[in-house]
Amino acid sequence: MSLIQELGAQLRATSDELPTGLVTAAMEKLRSATEILMWVRETSIDPVGVPQLGNATEHAERAAAALRIAQDAIATYLTQVGLTGDAAAPPDSDWKAGLERPEVKPEKPEDAKPEGEKLGPWWHQRIAQLTGEDAPEVNDKDQPQADTAELLRRVASGVRAGDKARLGRELHAASAATGLALSAVTPAVLHRLAGDLLGHEPRPEDVERLRSAAAGRVRSLLPGTSPAVLDTLIARICRVPVAQQGQSGHPADNAVTAGVLTGVLLARLGRDANTLDPNAPEPLRRPEAADAR
Amino acid sequence: MASVAEVKAAVDAALQQVSEGQAAIQAAREKLGEAQQSLAAALDGSGSDAVGAAHGSLSQADQSLEECLGATALAVEQAQNYTAML
Repeated sequence: MSLIQELGAQLRATSDELPTGLVTAAMEKLRSATEILMWVRETSIDPVGVPQLGNATEHAERAAAALRIAQDAIATYLTQVGLTGDAAAPPDSDWKAGLERPEVKPEKPEDAKPEGEKLGPWWHQRIAQLTGEDAPEVNDKDQPQADTAELLRRVASGVRAGDKARLGRELHAASAATGLALSAVTPAVLHRLAGDLLGHEPRPEDVERLRSAAAGRVRSLLPGTSPAVLDTLIARICRVPVAQQGQSGHPADNAVTAGVLTGVLLARLGRDANTLDPNAPEPLRRPEAADAR
Repeated sequence: MASVAEVKAAVDAALQQVSEGQAAIQAAREKLGEAQQSLAAALDGSGSDAVGAAHGSLSQADQSLEECLGATALAVEQAQNYTAML
């Protein structure tokens, strides 16, 4: 390897290792937190931290944009010094960043107590409304609690099997906090899966195609979800600006529908839920557009 | 009907997300610091505009992440003050 080749490889590695995935995962967690707090504080004049979280999300967006500009600048430099091969775009692995277990355990807020089942009845009631499946009378407390990434895989497996009862059981078995966090881990996954299904990056004109590919199955598994929730998720996937609604939606609706939509897109792609494991091999992207009818 | 315990639990669920977001931002800042050092070592002596742009963008990203953390700390404080009043 020549000296210039070595320099190019080092710069490429530095560019690839920039923490774009971590910043995106953080951004989605802040958005999810904002959504929950907006729902909690609706009609209260106390901001409960919502504007500050909005500012935080904007700062994270700016950081993500700056990282992309840095990657472009490194690619430009590599091209300028004649290393066009090293300037090629790296494989996209950021989409699973939100599913990885954090290396450092986040600090619990002061005086945070285990949430236990304080939100349990609230969660079960909403899951029953969404799925039409009542909470099991006996909950298996000895069953280890799934984290959100595991819950997403279980939900996706239930969707793939077309088993509404199983989907209901998996969702009822999760704690409210774990279930609500589906909102934070799914956006990047949905964007990637939709891109794989379409054969290109999702664009505003793909909204109708994705809706027709997913709406029927989502409705049959979640008869209680509003079509507007799915429309908003699809609009976000396709980077269509979403009009701010007068009222905040129920945070469980968005989280659960996003989890089910993930399962539907995986099923459309013929992929197993285990492909969502961060350690699973990167699925091959199909160059041709898939039939999303 | 919602209870104070439920409202507090919902705010706790949101703060858990914030806390995980903060951990991700902190991890991102560490990786960013390593990238800045690696870039500085590799490109020492370069006068290229692209190199200057890369350095500038990385500094900008780090500053934005620091501001992000500051804003999340304010949000947590405000939410905790609210639940303390309930």
